[in-house]
Amino acid sequence: MRETRLWSLHILVIPVIAILLGMHFAVQHYAPVFYGMSVEKARDFATMIERGKSTAQFVVYILLLAAGLYHGLYGTRGIIRELPLSPAMVKVVDWGILTVGVLIFALGTYVTWWTFVHPGV
Amino acid sequence: MANKPTAYNNRLGLKGWVYAGNYTFERYLYIGHRLSGLGLISYMVLHIIETANRMRGEEAWADLMGLFASPVFKIVEYLLFAAAVFHAMNGVRLLLVELGFFLGKPQEPIFPYKSSVIKHRPLTYIIMLLAGLLMALGGSSLFFK
Repeated sequence: MRETRLWSLHILVIPVIAILLGMHFAVQHYAPVFYGMSVEKARDFATMIERGKSTAQFVVYILLLAAGLYHGLYGTRGIIRELPLSPAMVKVVDWGILTVGVLIFALGTYVTWWTFVHPGV
Repeated sequence: MANKPTAYNNRLGLKGWVYAGNYTFERYLYIGHRLSGLGLISYMVLHIIETANRMRGEEAWADLMGLFASPVFKIVEYLLFAAAVFHAMNGVRLLLVELGFFLGKPQEPIFPYKSSVIKHRPLTYIIMLLAGLLMALGGSSLFFK
């Protein structure tokens, strides 16, 4: 049952990733197409800080971070667990993946928060 | 008399990693899905660490963005985009098939068999064509603006 729930969550986050990653691509990589702004300007420090101060942007990034990390790390776990591992090694893999996920999520959240509360340029 | 087990004749050598004789189109998509997924999650982790560089100030950020503006990183950026498009589009196919769409009605297994893979192959071709189109459009916007 636990595995079914984990797998279902892996599938359920797909639309979240598709929409939010699409928005991220539009802003960061296709700014000339969607916003009439050069890529250099879109990635400029002042523009990035200004954008990061929006509450919507803050929420979008935290959600994308959580959904992307969960989907990707769950997939990686599945690939690694296909190897002929001992039960002890399976636990090591599970805890290792969880630790990486929590650490990267914490770092990403901290950076997003840092940008959100930045006094501006 | 039963056949004696013999040593595996690895006649394909390294070629076997990418070509294994009876592999179907879907099997290659499966390999591509895994490789693109592993590439994307590796990049995501690096991307989060790399964008934390903003906390070192405006100059450090500008240096990093200058590096990303180089032609080599443009190609890397496009490859990432292409991997994301492929992974997403193939994921849509997998989801549809997993949910039972495009598989036809169940039927008696009478020779010549028609597998579910063959039944949904038109969907596979359409989705991969769309993925190719998106990759071409994305590339044209990225390189020829």
